[in-house]
Amino acid sequence: MFGRLNGRRRGWAAAVVMALAACGGDADPGAGDGSPDPEAGAALRVALLTSGPVSDAGWYAGAYEGLLLIGDSLGAEVSHQQTRTPTEFDEAFLAYGAEGYDLVFAHGFEYQDAAMRAGPRFPDMTIVVSGGGRVGDNVAPLIFTLEEASYLAGMAAGGVTRSGVVGMVGGVEIPPVQGTFRAFEAGVRAVRPDATILEAFIGNWDDVAAAKEAAVAQIGRGADVLIHNTDAASFGVFQAAREATEGGAETWVLGMNRDQNDIAPDVTLGSAVIRIPEAFLEVARRLLAGDLGGAPVYEGTSEDVVDFVANPATEARYPDGLLQRIRAAGDSIRAGTLEVPRVPFVDGETG
Amino acid sequence: MSGRALPLVSALAALALTLALAAAALALGGYPPGEAFGALLRGALGSPQAVVSITLVRTVPLLLTGLAVALAFRAGVWNIGAEGQLYAGAVAAVWVGLHAGALPGWLAVPAVLTASVTAGAAWAAVPALMKLRLGVGEVITTLLLNFVAIDLAAWLVHGPLQEPRGVFPQTESIAEAARLPLLIPDSRLHAGFAVAVVLAAVLALLLRYSRVGFSVRAVGASPPAARSAGRMPVGRVVAGAFLVSGALAGLAGGVEVAGVTYALYENLSPGHGYTAIAVALLAGLHPVGVVGTAVLFGVLEGGASAMQRSAGVPAAWVDGIQALVILSVLVVDRVARRILVARGGRG
Repeated sequence: MFGRLNGRRRGWAAAVVMALAACGGDADPGAGDGSPDPEAGAALRVALLTSGPVSDAGWYAGAYEGLLLIGDSLGAEVSHQQTRTPTEFDEAFLAYGAEGYDLVFAHGFEYQDAAMRAGPRFPDMTIVVSGGGRVGDNVAPLIFTLEEASYLAGMAAGGVTRSGVVGMVGGVEIPPVQGTFRAFEAGVRAVRPDATILEAFIGNWDDVAAAKEAAVAQIGRGADVLIHNTDAASFGVFQAAREATEGGAETWVLGMNRDQNDIAPDVTLGSAVIRIPEAFLEVARRLLAGDLGGAPVYEGTSEDVVDFVANPATEARYPDGLLQRIRAAGDSIRAGTLEVPRVPFVDGETG
Repeated sequence: MSGRALPLVSALAALALTLALAAAALALGGYPPGEAFGALLRGALGSPQAVVSITLVRTVPLLLTGLAVALAFRAGVWNIGAEGQLYAGAVAAVWVGLHAGALPGWLAVPAVLTASVTAGAAWAAVPALMKLRLGVGEVITTLLLNFVAIDLAAWLVHGPLQEPRGVFPQTESIAEAARLPLLIPDSRLHAGFAVAVVLAAVLALLLRYSRVGFSVRAVGASPPAARSAGRMPVGRVVAGAFLVSGALAGLAGGVEVAGVTYALYENLSPGHGYTAIAVALLAGLHPVGVVGTAVLFGVLEGGASAMQRSAGVPAAWVDGIQALVILSVLVVDRVARRILVARGGRG
């Protein structure tokens, strides 16, 4: 029920991730690639709170992978708790604080109020709230700037569309989703200034039929490239595009949140992805460097956390030079010379 | 319901059965049972802070809903709807708490709790009326109304009661004045614990010594006998027990909001209203016993999280083990009753 912000939650069966998650607390030390950092020592203790199962192959699984990555790369002692209800939030912070944990990843906006209460109480513990909206001395929201990859996806859509009409299907109309759509629009117009852009929201994150219906309606109005930000309901968008293509009306889709290029490889242009494990590792490194707390943590293109991944199976359908243009725009975002639209939702944030 | 020793024996038997089953399940999953149980005990009872801020805080909603179920069952009312009544109470408490900013604390807190009690009773009044006027069985109606209440709460936090920025599916935190004071400074234990314990004592005394309590027990034992031999207003007794039961469950929701979460969320309760049935049955439906069994379940729930944190047992296993506890309680309770009947302890 929680953690649906930006629709990064429920997953599809990716056997590899499931197998990883099934290890539970028995972290496999052989999974890591980095050697333990001698400076970090075994003193670093890192915990993860999720309000959903880490076997979801998506939002929570990514966080759990990140926790294990920190354990392997930095030699940290790691712990995970899945909280079932809000009454457990304060309790979990209390338990980790009392045990002297250094860093707690609270993986969802739902933890923000409890995190703000726990912060002053455990000044030696830093709490990072994924998608959170409030900042404290030792409480920091972790914001994935998915807009940057959405912009690049928009460029792909603008370059590939023949009709000049592209569609966006969203879950719930909340600022993080609006942000990805504003950025997508800007990306489309950067390549195709005269494009018509359609927008629809289905009002939830998991109604596959509603997402398909919205996508079919947009195809009916001439859209030949679609992007979604609907989490689990996105199947419907992929399905609509595939059926339209099979029916002779060639239609393309762009994935969101994670690499969805293999859901419908023949009609998918690429995906705007968030690499949660890398983001977590980066946050832990910042903690060790004394550079965490008091301000939101943005993880995006510059950190290699957010990225646009073109689908190798359909790269041939990109017009000549488009992929190079997209790559160049990614470099400009990284360099700070290209600023992508964003809808702010952190307290005191100005976009 | 005679034979005071038997509930204790059956409680111990249920506990032993549960531990054996849980140990087997853990071993099967490759988690050393000793380590897991050690984590459970340390997490729930390992320090004064753990006892006070984890176990006893978890006890409060289980105690209040446990009392709700025990009272209803004693009167022969099969109220399976404590979960929904809890949600109704939580919704009312949040609504009042959000608007209580201007009130002084001595007024705001009682207003919040009164709202939750009233809402819980009102939620129970619907199945009570359906039972008494239309003869519709309350097992089905109370159960179904749980889903209505849960969905209502979900709709509210996505709609009318959503926090003002409209980003997150939760309400704003209730006014400071509307929050329950802490019983022990620097802990999480709030005044709701004291309220619940006092209510358990009051309920025990009323059931045992008052006329109303006698009527409840008589109606619960046999409505026709109570009507013909005792000339008791069976309908009124049933309605009263139903409403008070709903009020207690509603209070559980109000206390959770005013003492723990300060805001309404979609899945506020992990199923307290269902666990309450095991809490009440394990206590032999006796209010004082409910205090003990609620603490026991508080230990289990608080320690279960520690099993995840310290022993790496996944949440799904922990949930499964907690379900095993409830199952073994129900099984042992039934076996104990059979033994009672075989002994002729109860006709």
